[in-house]
Amino acid sequence: MTVETQSLPAGSLARPSFSSDLRALWAVAYREWLYVVRYPTWALSLLVWPVIFPLLYLLTARALSGADGSGLAQFQANTGVGDYVGYIVVGTTIWMWQNVVLWNVGFSLRGEQMRGTLESNWLMPTRRFTYLLGSSIPHLLTMMLFLAISAFEFAVLFGVRFEGSLWLAMLVVLVSIPSVYGLGFAFASLVITAREANAFVFLVRGLVMIFCGITYPVNLLPAWMQPIAAFLPQTYIIRAMRSAALSTAGLEAIVPDLQILLVFGLAWLVLGYGMFQWMERRARKSGAIGQY
Amino acid sequence: MENWAIEAKDLVKKFPQRAPSNGNGAQTKKAPARWWPFRKREPKPLFTAVDGVSLQIERGEIFGLLGPNGAGKSTTIRMLCTLLEPTSGTAIINGFDITRQATQVRQSLGTLLAGERSIYWKLSGRENLEYFATLYHIPPAIAKKRVEELIERMELKERANELVEKYSTGMRQRIAISKALLARPPILLLDEPTLGLDPQAARNLRELILDLQKEGHTILLTTHYMEEADQLSDRIGIIDQGKIIALDTPEGLKRRIEQREIVRLEVAGWYEKMGEQVRQLPGIEDLTVRKVEGDDLWEVSVQSLNLRQSLPALVGLVNHNGSHLVNMNIQKPSLEDVFIHLTGKALRD
Repeated sequence: MTVETQSLPAGSLARPSFSSDLRALWAVAYREWLYVVRYPTWALSLLVWPVIFPLLYLLTARALSGADGSGLAQFQANTGVGDYVGYIVVGTTIWMWQNVVLWNVGFSLRGEQMRGTLESNWLMPTRRFTYLLGSSIPHLLTMMLFLAISAFEFAVLFGVRFEGSLWLAMLVVLVSIPSVYGLGFAFASLVITAREANAFVFLVRGLVMIFCGITYPVNLLPAWMQPIAAFLPQTYIIRAMRSAALSTAGLEAIVPDLQILLVFGLAWLVLGYGMFQWMERRARKSGAIGQY
Repeated sequence: MENWAIEAKDLVKKFPQRAPSNGNGAQTKKAPARWWPFRKREPKPLFTAVDGVSLQIERGEIFGLLGPNGAGKSTTIRMLCTLLEPTSGTAIINGFDITRQATQVRQSLGTLLAGERSIYWKLSGRENLEYFATLYHIPPAIAKKRVEELIERMELKERANELVEKYSTGMRQRIAISKALLARPPILLLDEPTLGLDPQAARNLRELILDLQKEGHTILLTTHYMEEADQLSDRIGIIDQGKIIALDTPEGLKRRIEQREIVRLEVAGWYEKMGEQVRQLPGIEDLTVRKVEGDDLWEVSVQSLNLRQSLPALVGLVNHNGSHLVNMNIQKPSLEDVFIHLTGKALRD
């Protein structure tokens, strides 16, 4: 919360204002960016992972469809899509996006806690949610780069033909951001409270992997699993992205999914913010911020 | 009402106690859970880290909070700087309440916690200061000037653009102190500021603290170094087991045991029973024994109300049964002796 200037301590150099709040947000984002670029191994993973991860599913699909591809007719009947490569890479790329957000955004506060700098930030007269929001910005930018590199590599190495619209694909990404990052914010608060990330990441990414149809249509799931899929925003992100990037169905085809994603996005942002506030209050009582 | 820089009123902080160890480092087994999930849970036992701390610190004063590890010094500082919420009680910092006006309290404070780990090692010294200046809401033009001023003052100009990971511990500590000074806050909280520094760096930092007082800052510092508290503090609060057990000027504290005489012995071949025998000698008030690391020697500090009476028997006792006196000197009471007198143990025990 920004304090009124008249209540500032005498002699202080601080001049809180709306623009100083924005500068603080930028400072957190820039500091996080410096940390990203000063550990340069991320660039390697940015290039390699988009290729390696879907390969597992693509080769499995090739084996199942037979050497002459005769099994693909059934795939097309189930999915309505003939290009199984494009179908799989869209699903796996969205899964990886959520996975990386869970690790990076979800782990951002915990990383600060382990370095010992979280308390230093908490001592500043800046709104504490700024640290979580600001540190997400560089990760959002690197993920946009990751999606672009993935699309390029799939087109060049796997011959995927993105017949849809780039603008619609970007619109899907834009509308998906609140859901994907809202979950990341909620996750960050859980991780700092539990001081452990792995179990949560494995649980969430496992749910997305099984329920959201990253390599198969959701209607192939057993009946009892399908309502669960309907409550996961990634189900709609994947479906909308397939339509936007791989088909020429246009905006009308994805509008219902985008509307649902906006509702999910709002809900996850509210939940993420609420959980952060809960964690912050709890940490103030328990002293968890300074604990390793 | 006086306008104190810091006024703590009966601060209490309790934490839930962890499950007790079975002595082998492993935690004792919990009672098996019953199937009914809504059963009434037994409340966890609480550990009281700070137990009713009240103090008033004047503007411009250096106040030392002195105590052994685990005495409650850092918990007190963490409550004052709004990182921790008190279980009960409150404090007013620069006229602002720590629970209801936390942002204004943080505006009023420059806080040094955890020293060199409180800054970013993958950023340069300058980048660290620019970052924290922005979080203090200092306008960019003023921040730039202030950062340069502090870099100059801390004699870090030549290395300001290097990553902090390449700095020595002393240099990192200077950046951490600079961070606390960025917004020119009226009050500084310094938690163990010289911990881990080499003697020269510690001396420089102590000089800096005295300079900051001359510039008008109020300083609350915690330390477990007696000499540091003695040299820097206008007043000292001795804290043990979460309570302030004495609060006075260093001279005032020493006067409390002025009538006592302190004799320090170095003894080879000390054994436990000898301690009991020394305590029974006439005139002996307090005794602490500490093994000298890497040597077969024990440092023994004895407080006596009548040394002339106790000394011959004391010397005779330690030169007995294979043990012998290696060195002995008689000293004026120090803060360490005050601490021993108040708590019955040495500060580093």
